[in-house]
Amino acid sequence: MIKALFKKQMLEVFSWVYFDRKNGKNRSKGGIIGYAALYLLLFGFLGVFFFQMAKTLCKPLSDAGLGWLYFALMGLIAVAMGVFGSVFNTYSSLYKAKDNDFLLSLPVPSGKILMIRLCGVYFMGLMYELIIAIPTILVYFISVKPTVLSVVLNLLLPLVLSVFVLTLSCILGFFVAIISSKVKRKNIITVILSLVFIAAYYYVYAKSYQIIQSILAAPEKVGNSVKSILYPFYRMGLGAEGDVLSYLIFTLMVAALFFVTYLVLSRSFLSIATANKGAAKKAYKEKAAKTSSIEKALLLKELRNFLGCSVYMLNCGLGIVMMPIAAVAVLIKGADLSAILSEILGEHANVLPLLAAAAVCMLCSMNDITSPSVSLEGKNLWLVQSFPVPAKKVLHAKLQLHLILTVIPAALLAVCLCIAFKISLPYAILILAFILIFIFLMALIGLALNLKMPNLNWTDPTVPVKQSLCVMIALFGGWAIVMALGGLYLLVMKFITPLVFLITACVVLAVICVLLLKWIDTKGAKIFETL
Amino acid sequence: MLTISHLTKTYGDKRAVDDLSLHIAPGEIYGFIGHNGAGKTTTIKSCCGILGFDSGEITIDGVSMKENPLVCKSKLAYIPDNPDLYDFMTGIQYLNFVADVFGVPADERQKKIRELADAFEITDALAEAISSYSHGMKQKLAIISALIHSPKLIIMDEPFVGLDPKASHLLKQLMRKICDDGGAIFFSTHVLEVAEKLCDKIAIIKNGKLIQSGTVEEVKGDTSLEDVFLELEEEK
Repeated sequence: MIKALFKKQMLEVFSWVYFDRKNGKNRSKGGIIGYAALYLLLFGFLGVFFFQMAKTLCKPLSDAGLGWLYFALMGLIAVAMGVFGSVFNTYSSLYKAKDNDFLLSLPVPSGKILMIRLCGVYFMGLMYELIIAIPTILVYFISVKPTVLSVVLNLLLPLVLSVFVLTLSCILGFFVAIISSKVKRKNIITVILSLVFIAAYYYVYAKSYQIIQSILAAPEKVGNSVKSILYPFYRMGLGAEGDVLSYLIFTLMVAALFFVTYLVLSRSFLSIATANKGAAKKAYKEKAAKTSSIEKALLLKELRNFLGCSVYMLNCGLGIVMMPIAAVAVLIKGADLSAILSEILGEHANVLPLLAAAAVCMLCSMNDITSPSVSLEGKNLWLVQSFPVPAKKVLHAKLQLHLILTVIPAALLAVCLCIAFKISLPYAILILAFILIFIFLMALIGLALNLKMPNLNWTDPTVPVKQSLCVMIALFGGWAIVMALGGLYLLVMKFITPLVFLITACVVLAVICVLLLKWIDTKGAKIFETL
Repeated sequence: MLTISHLTKTYGDKRAVDDLSLHIAPGEIYGFIGHNGAGKTTTIKSCCGILGFDSGEITIDGVSMKENPLVCKSKLAYIPDNPDLYDFMTGIQYLNFVADVFGVPADERQKKIRELADAFEITDALAEAISSYSHGMKQKLAIISALIHSPKLIIMDEPFVGLDPKASHLLKQLMRKICDDGGAIFFSTHVLEVAEKLCDKIAIIKNGKLIQSGTVEEVKGDTSLEDVFLELEEEK
């Protein structure tokens, strides 16, 4: 029984390799190999980055007699990577598992069910941790002549460290479960946290060279800090260098921490797995009813769908956040940017308005709200199909949402750029018009693509949003259109001024918009009715 | 109220509905019975304008579904077998959304929501997200949303699945009242006892073809509906 459960858990953990969520079927052998190779390539790419980092740290620290600090620092990064990679998996597999009821009905003690689930989390954490652990150990073996004992302990270290990752994931997963059950607007919180993480990631990535250099400049100081604040990592570092006693101390610390966590979890697992930890029920209080037009009701429905799905917001609405950030950056650094660009462009400085328009359009392309909007109707499609509402109106509501959520931040950024680049008012109005037409075009392209390639058979919204060809084409297609227009301008710049080019582009794009809108209103609406 | 004339619908080579004709008059509760895959849901979805059909005609209150689908849809309400509603809305948001789509005035919708939500005992849950509802609660919400615009015709696919006994009883009473007030109801069911007791007329479909229809008495004769159904099912 336990063996069967373990097998089930492993199948679940590695289902992303062999199971295609897009069509609900197992991948072919070729598909599995291709998909696994793709991930290995991605992991390898990350591994190369950490290999370089390890290479920079290993030799100088080892030469300074601080080899343990090298392992401690890389170990800390590995733990962070492992915990980040598996914390949400811990939350979903421990507290949100769909088969909890089924497993609890089997003649298996709940403690063993918990242990089997933790095995899944352990392997997931190990997988992420190895992205850093493998280059760390390889660099050490290459740079320093290790003893046989050190080699053995190094090879065993990731297995022990992964228990620490598992423990931290369990503790954080527990808090995620609590927060998730208390917070009202989970999706907004998820989006904000994700954006904060992305920002922090890019900040650390950009500063990584400086951080490494500051460590190498004062290794003794950093070493003392690590030793006093993160004592287990000090022992881990010594252990990795071949000190058996330190290795055992570290292993014991990790084991003790895990044991305590397991005890707490096993005591609460049954109640957590079976109880509904949902937020306190809010009783309905009748308010005076307000009526809305059909158009407004449909638009509100689209907005609620957008705000109700963090995956949708993050993947198809990033421009909403990026554009105001860019606008603020332009207000602060705009003058410098203008000066630098004018210097680079020299006699061609008159193309600055075109560059401003292109920059805004690039960011506008990060909003692909219409491109999964038809697929996102999913199993609810029967509702709009059974209503006495023309399909055209339903599709227009999708377009409107895209326009509203994109035009406002885009206009803000465009105005800031026009101020920073000191663009004349008539020119600025033309730029704004071009941006509006471009946004409308992208909304139409996304909707048309999704009408042609809808995917209504999904259970997880990540499938129509993240694994959708429509979204990908809309995103990169927007950039491609901007680049194509840029290329076209380079070809004709000897013959026409930027102003004439911008007017011509506006007219051409507007004509395409009219044609696409007509197609959506007629053939597109027909497609939607018969989906 | 609902007339289906020579309806035919194919999926590839398979004829899901084959030359089916039915007439549901105002004041009638019309039951639609058949084995799994007999073509009940296809017929029902065609009547609601969700599915197109190959040939034949469907009219609602004399209006052609093919020619004027929006007018037809404004006269009817549909409750599917599996109420997949907008999970991202709360119950009250969903009811207001449906009321907006059908243009129900504020005071009328408020009165209806209050009455029906109280009757189905889901008033307290109206502020909750639909994603937190049980199947039965979703079914109740779907029923309330279907009744909110006082449709002349209600088409239901297995409406009693997931409902508790009290809600089932209430639905049966509402169905009778709607028909007594001049409305019509066309619904599919596998619960033959319910069909026998509740319906004025019954149609039995097998492999897409209508094999028996008429008043309950005409169809069952001296035996039970169950015996008739099983007998007809066994015939080749």
